[in-house]
Amino acid sequence: MGRIGGRTRANGALLIAAMLLVSPDAANATDNDQNAPRLTELSLEQLGDIEVTTVSKRPEEVWRTAVAIHVITHEDIRRSGATSIPEVLRLAPGIEVARIDSDHWSIGVRGFGDQFSKSLLVLIDGRSIYTPLFAGMYWPAHDALLDDVDRIEVIRGPGGTIWGADAVSGVINIITKATAETHGALLSAGAGNIDRGTGALRYGGGNGRTFDYRVYGKGVNRSAEHHADGAAFDEWWTTQAGFRTDWTPGPGNTLTVQGDVSKGSHGQRVSVASLSPPAQVALDGSLHAVGVDVLARWQRDFTATRGFRLQAYVDRTSWLAPHFGEQRNTIDVDFLHHATLAARHTVTAGVGARVSPSRFIQQVPTLDFTPRVQTDSVYSGFAEDEMALVPEHLWLTVGSKIEHNNYTGVEVQPGARLLWAPRPGQSAWASVSRAVRTPSRIEDAIASTSYSTTTTVPIFLRVTGNPDFDAERTVAYEAGYRARVASQVYVDLAAFHNRHRGLGSFGLGSVTVEQTPLPVHAIVDVLYVNGVSGRSDGFELSPEWQPRGWWRLRGGYSYVRFDLANTPGSIDVNAVNRYAGSSPHHQVRLESRLNLPGGAEFDAAYRYVSALPAQKIEAYHTADSRVGWAVSPRIEVSLAGQNLLAPSHAEFGHNLPQPVGIARSVYVEVRWWRANPWHGLPSAAWPPRPRSQ
Amino acid sequence: MARSALSRLAAATALTVICTFTADAQPAPRSEYEIKAAYLFTFGKFVDWPPRPARDESAVTICVLGADPFGPVLDATLAGATIRGRKVSWRRLTGPEDAAGCHIVFVSASEERRVSTIVPALNQLGALTVSDMPQFASHGGMIQFVTAASRVRFEINLLSAREAGLTVSSELLRVASAVRNGAGPGE
Repeated sequence: MGRIGGRTRANGALLIAAMLLVSPDAANATDNDQNAPRLTELSLEQLGDIEVTTVSKRPEEVWRTAVAIHVITHEDIRRSGATSIPEVLRLAPGIEVARIDSDHWSIGVRGFGDQFSKSLLVLIDGRSIYTPLFAGMYWPAHDALLDDVDRIEVIRGPGGTIWGADAVSGVINIITKATAETHGALLSAGAGNIDRGTGALRYGGGNGRTFDYRVYGKGVNRSAEHHADGAAFDEWWTTQAGFRTDWTPGPGNTLTVQGDVSKGSHGQRVSVASLSPPAQVALDGSLHAVGVDVLARWQRDFTATRGFRLQAYVDRTSWLAPHFGEQRNTIDVDFLHHATLAARHTVTAGVGARVSPSRFIQQVPTLDFTPRVQTDSVYSGFAEDEMALVPEHLWLTVGSKIEHNNYTGVEVQPGARLLWAPRPGQSAWASVSRAVRTPSRIEDAIASTSYSTTTTVPIFLRVTGNPDFDAERTVAYEAGYRARVASQVYVDLAAFHNRHRGLGSFGLGSVTVEQTPLPVHAIVDVLYVNGVSGRSDGFELSPEWQPRGWWRLRGGYSYVRFDLANTPGSIDVNAVNRYAGSSPHHQVRLESRLNLPGGAEFDAAYRYVSALPAQKIEAYHTADSRVGWAVSPRIEVSLAGQNLLAPSHAEFGHNLPQPVGIARSVYVEVRWWRANPWHGLPSAAWPPRPRSQ
Repeated sequence: MARSALSRLAAATALTVICTFTADAQPAPRSEYEIKAAYLFTFGKFVDWPPRPARDESAVTICVLGADPFGPVLDATLAGATIRGRKVSWRRLTGPEDAAGCHIVFVSASEERRVSTIVPALNQLGALTVSDMPQFASHGGMIQFVTAASRVRFEINLLSAREAGLTVSSELLRVASAVRNGAGPGE
């Protein structure tokens, strides 16, 4: 904004825009700077009636952050028509969201799409939902009321320096609103062909100053996606309820306590091998999940430049599927202190501990863990110094996390980031960082047998966990540039070059022929090893343009390529192909968001995803659309259609030989709320009166 | 009734079409910070400050604390402006300790982490504190911008203003989207 040449003209134009809104009679006014009053001559009411663009409404920290970050706002979520967190993540550049079936997603950041969404750290209000069982995310078991979500910060690239091991390819921070912002009642209900029935209820209150609270409950029932053979094994439902309280006994002193309980049943098809005929059966069943979590966070700011945050949570999950079960309790304590020293140094330091005892429940003879009972633990320390080399313009941040885990011992994850902001609305950054993904329980302790093929005898693959499996290590070189290139045009560019060492693969197999149980069969024994190394490169370009106050356009192009190879002694070419071929090399996304007269909204998004050869998925393109209408200040009705360009398309091949088709879907939702006036929409019919006197 | 609704819809559609087809003549609505800059100035008309020794009372001083989101917009808006015969001056601050002469302080969202200590310091100085960061009024800030339906409006924490010795005109309270008065949420 504020290109000098266009100033006076722009002011006049603004006035015309204002007059158009204030009085339609002014539509014929011409661009006349002399006669148009200045903005400073308008009354308070007139100022409040001018439509504005909010393209600059990015959290200011984004400009001051030397990482590739994209913030999905509450408004973005609402207008996407998405009904689950994984679907919302499609809004961020550089993220590959592939829906495997109705209740499973492969989510990768800058490549490494995987059914377990490995190497990605996801936090809900500071609580990690990453599981050490398979070093990834089990998406259907974790949810939040999307209406409560204030924003989702999606960070591409390693976050290990701050967040520690497992934040290798990216970090996703889901942050819910403070309770002072959710006063009042909210009721929503929806129905559709995939989202068969959804309902949510929220109530919040408090004094808006020292104590506020909210409680919520939601339920979702989703149907199966498209199955050519009619086997609708992926139907599922979840219910969840929770609360949050924020208590502020004094300035700079806030205690937040929140918690959730959830229960769900997630349909899936699993292949189970048996050494006796039949060698393999497909079991259709459900994973039953129960989750309970409670978190407390104490934020204390002593002065403008010194404060701390102490957070602790307990998280209990219990999963029981046809082929396995696991019970896990996680206790996590985290302390962070920040202080500005000697004016130019802001030092942040912290310590943390996480202890996570778990018990594996064997359901079938061919899948087990040794030992079944294990306690995972991580103890960490972290320090970072942000140095203002040139105040307000050039910063260097250097820091490291040092942690000890029960698999690989001590891991060091240093990083250095340089940020240059020559003027407001423009910044460039570069960074080097190191991140590690520590082994999962699968790589460490699994004992699984799966059917491979039959030649003269049936052949089985027996995978055994390898206690010597080492951490996967990545060094990332990144650079980025952000600029408001014109008053309503914003561009964000980020590029990366990652060097990977010791990615997981299978080691050389040894074959034994066994007589018992009959029939005679061959077993190929393999171990997990760190057998793949190499590099990945790519970039993401995300422009945003707001041609009108009521019309916003966004684009995104993401590119990634891989140059991976087996390390000497490893011949698992499949692993190389799987890493390189399970993520799209090209992704394109285009979004339009239109505010229409009469409280209506029309939003559309198009996306193109290139082929995933390792998953036998062809390139596809599809589109989503949403129409919303504020029937009254308290009621909103919306109709959302997703995957509209084809009856169905497959996005990931986990269920090969017949990948599940992701169906075209339609979803209608009605939302009713009785907002608290304090944070409700301004309304002319409701003159506020001061309460005093 | 139905007819009038229909004609209003037609008028609204016509207006949209006009806006669309006169695109070259009329650049887009302006950024929210242009409006916020105008608000900062306009607030000055509706507030009376207690005299303070550190302040130059012949001028009304508007200050921006933290990363400046306005850029040249602030200078363009305030250049040559006067409030009740007093000229308007403005400056940018790096910390609350520089705010001694300020009548109005806009606290940038970049200071969110420190808001709980900045606000009491500014209130102590008798400055009108304004911000667009969420929760600003909950932290004792006096005026919080709220952007809803693409329009910038504001909420007032009257108690904070009174405690700082400011007199806020009833006109400002009338236009505010919400008035909070310490003990509880606005009604």
